[in-house]
Amino acid sequence: MNIVDSTKVTVPVLLNDPELEQIAMTTLLIGRLLMESGARAEVVHEDCSIVAHGFGADHVDLRSGYASVDITVSRGASTITRTMEVGPHGVDHRLSHALRDLVRRIQQGNLTPSEALAKATGLKRDTPHFAPWLVALAAGIACAAFGRLLGLDWPAFLPVAAAGAIGQAVRQVMLRRGVNVFVIAACMAFLSSNLAGLGASRAGSATVNVAMVASVLMLVPGVPALNAQSDIMEGHPTLGTARGVCVIMLLTFIAIGVLLAQVLLGVQP
Amino acid sequence: MIVDVLHLLHQALFGAVAASGFGVLFNFGWRDLRWCAASGALALTTRTIAQDAGWSLEAATFAAAAAVGCGGRLLRARLGIASNSLAVAGCVPMVPGFFAAQAIFGLFALTAAHPDNPSKLAVTTMEFALRVIFTAGAIGAGLSIVTHILRSPDS
Repeated sequence: MNIVDSTKVTVPVLLNDPELEQIAMTTLLIGRLLMESGARAEVVHEDCSIVAHGFGADHVDLRSGYASVDITVSRGASTITRTMEVGPHGVDHRLSHALRDLVRRIQQGNLTPSEALAKATGLKRDTPHFAPWLVALAAGIACAAFGRLLGLDWPAFLPVAAAGAIGQAVRQVMLRRGVNVFVIAACMAFLSSNLAGLGASRAGSATVNVAMVASVLMLVPGVPALNAQSDIMEGHPTLGTARGVCVIMLLTFIAIGVLLAQVLLGVQP
Repeated sequence: MIVDVLHLLHQALFGAVAASGFGVLFNFGWRDLRWCAASGALALTTRTIAQDAGWSLEAATFAAAAAVGCGGRLLRARLGIASNSLAVAGCVPMVPGFFAAQAIFGLFALTAAHPDNPSKLAVTTMEFALRVIFTAGAIGAGLSIVTHILRSPDS
């Protein structure tokens, strides 16, 4: 049996390996973009491993946190560790899909690290998105449909759709201005809930209370909630717990917004 | 078991509309939005049938999430790596956001100076909170179990 002699200390050797540096940074950028576009931790880990090995690394270790990702890449005698901040976590399916296609191309050996870095940067910039008005409209309709599943009556359907759409439009403006996501959630919940409550009561709805909650359901962080569970199940409890805490915080801020609107309109929760 | 067909169609239709609306919000491509709608419709149809059969909301939600996960896996050749995301989009309309809001309202009400009937309020709040935990857990478990059992190398 081999016993490691822990008293032996190896002298660290500083090696300048620009290619290894580029492998690490390209892998980290892809990992960061995957996390920001709503991928599960396991997908991030697997794809980063594929990328680094695809570029010729012998060994890869990745640590994914909520706000940063760290990587250690080894090739021959050289080893480097790098870290990169992760921005706001969102859900962007087209970006996530394009990144995973890029990972497959790297795996097939079709790209150098610098080409892949340029392509990943370009994907973030050039991935198409729906027009903001269409996103707002879709969010409003989704809220109203969600409301119907919860027992919303027909007179409240249009007011909820309109309130949800207006709320989503305001949310997009606030996001562009860099306002804190929790503050946005509370403000938007207050606005949409008020509009839906007023509209539904004017329309003669008997489900004003449901209308006020349904109008903010597009804010409910469904994907992060499911990712939190998957991450914990798949061996990434730190990231999963962080996601779970953010989900609870967001729900609390949404509830505060709706509650304030209910107090203002005199509606019983 | 008696299935109210109109109610079933209603749930499937609005499940499809909600899932495709969320699909736009999550930036799915135009081509994938129809699959989001199909995924949402399948989820709500399964859940409604299971509830009509007398299953609890949590058990019905688990069955619906598992059905959507299986559907995604069966169409994997056609959908590619998008199948997982589409299954998640289909399950989003079942996320118990309404119950979560009611649970938080209940907690706020409990901390009021003199709540009316605090024992009943506490029980109702606990009921909503547990329903949120179990329903969200049922969705996650339904999707994950299928994903892990029917796993393929590039999932």
